[in-house]
Order: sequence, then structure tokens, then C-alpha cells
Amino acid sequence: MTFITEQASSAQNSEIQRGIRAVTPILFGLVPVALAFGALASQKGLTASEVSLMTGLNFAGGSEFAAIGLWQAVPPLLLIVAITFLVNSRHLLMGAALTPHLAGLPRWKAYAVLVLMCDESWALGLADARKHRFFSLPFYFGQAVTMYLGWMALSTLGALAGPLLGDIEQYGADLAFPAVFLVLLRGMWPGVVKASPWLASLAVAIAAYLALPGAWYVPLGALTGLGLSWLMAGRT
Amino acid sequence: MIDPWTLIIIIGMATVTVTTRIGGYALLRGRTLSPRLLATMEAAPGCVLIAVIAPHFATGRPADMLALVITVVAALRLPMLPTVMIGMASAAILRQVL
Repeated sequence: MTFITEQASSAQNSEIQRGIRAVTPILFGLVPVALAFGALASQKGLTASEVSLMTGLNFAGGSEFAAIGLWQAVPPLLLIVAITFLVNSRHLLMGAALTPHLAGLPRWKAYAVLVLMCDESWALGLADARKHRFFSLPFYFGQAVTMYLGWMALSTLGALAGPLLGDIEQYGADLAFPAVFLVLLRGMWPGVVKASPWLASLAVAIAAYLALPGAWYVPLGALTGLGLSWLMAGRT
Repeated sequence: MIDPWTLIIIIGMATVTVTTRIGGYALLRGRTLSPRLLATMEAAPGCVLIAVIAPHFATGRPADMLALVITVVAALRLPMLPTVMIGMASAAILRQVL
């Protein structure tokens, strides 16, 4: 019994470590993004502890950038909460895509997976599940918890260092965010035909971004791409 | 160090964010998903990620657009860290030059 438990726990540890190794390059890529976020937040008057609290409780970088963009002396509560929902509405689709992999898990474990779900942890988890035909929980938690702690720690560091850095656009730090996402996209490239929903999503998102206020471009683009994917899935 | 109004906003943000995270699963849990829906969901990751970065394709500033093209080319060939470094460096340099 003990032997089996030890064996199981060492297998689990190696899966956790595999998760941490998989996410480390992504975390390095996010260093400038998180520092930039913290620095922007401190320029808007947030303290380092407020930045820790926001990234620790909300843990969704895109919506945090959006919130900081709308921050004022007395920040507008309803507007910021509504924009947060809009930017993060993609999680609804992401959670739906994870659902088949969570079948059979105790409900609390499924919710633990979902609460730690960000773009990066979700993309890594799904890519790994596709490759190994199995959704490895220790792998997922290894990388997702690392992402969580890394994002919180680095953005707090950015808030502390912000006053020293000055205008962060001069370092091109804002380009780090799309760079991380582009590498994630390259990793899941399904071929030209199957990627056509991506291009539809991008085209509609650009148009919506230019035409509409707020963050409507995220759900509008993503839903257009999924609509096209739905039509294509019906044809075959 | 933590302003009460800021705390209220953060709790509001966290509440809607958690709702979006568990919502898709809570709605679909226990249902049998059709093969067509599963095939559709295959495209979800790409559609979502590319929509999130769409504003970077629409800044209209030549330096930013050129830096983005360089970043796309780098992302096609290189791992994460060099891609991020090239993206940042090209934006920093091009913004000085153009």
C-alpha cells in the first residue's frame, strides 16, 4: 500500500514539475507584461498592496489592463465591472471547451481547475490533453499555480518599481503581450483550413475594436470564429 | 494602504471574473456534447486568443504595425522568450526611428 502511494505521489510530483517546466518560458515572456501592468497601475495611483489584491483575486490580466485604463481619482465601479465581464466573457467559452476533460472529476476539483483558468494555463492544459489524450490534473495545477503566483508577484514588483521606470512604452513592453499570445497560437496551429475561423475572429475583432467602444471586440470576434467553425463542422 | 472604494471595485471585478470562469462548465456539465459542438470547440482557443490581441493589429501607427509583423514572423519560428525580446526590441527601436 505504502509503496503504491509513494509511487503515485512521485508520479504526481513529476507531473507537477512537468507543468512548471512547460509554463516557465511563458512566465519569462510575461515578465515585461506584468511589470508594465504594475507600473501603469502605480502611475494611476494604486498602491502595491492594491495591485496584489487585484491580481490575486481577479487574476485575469486583460481585464486588469482594461480596468487600469478606466481608472480615475474616483474610479467608476459599474463601468469597470461591466468591462471586466466583457473582456472575460471568453472564459465562458474556455470553460465550455474544458468541460469534456472535467467529466468524472469531483465537482470541487473541477471548480479548482476553472478558478485557476487563464488564457495561458487553459491553452497549455488543452494542448497537453490533446497530445497525451488525457487531462493531467497535476500537470495543470503545476503550471496554473505557477502562472497565478508569477502574475501576482511580478505585477506587484512592477507597482513597486513603476516610479523608477518612467514611461514604459519606450521599452516596447506593450508588445510582449501579443508576442506571448502569438507563440501560444503557433503552438496550436491546426492547418490553414481549420484556422480560417481564427482569421474570421481576428477580422471581426479588429472591425469591432475600431467601431465600438469598450471591449465588445473580444466576444464578437470569438463568437464569429466559433460560428464559422460550427458551419464548417456541419459540412464534414 | 487599501482604499475602501478600490477594494469594492476589486471585489466586483473578481466576482464577475469567477462567474465567467465557472459559468461555461456549470451550464454544460452533465450534458452530452454533440460531435459537431466538440468539433466547433476545437477552434475556440485560437478564436479567443486572437480576438484578445486584435487591438494590436489596429493601432494605425506605422512603427507599431511593423513591430507586430516582425513579432508574428518571430513567433512562427522561435520559442517564447526570444519572440518576446524581439517584439519588445523592435517596438522600442522602431518607435525611436519612425
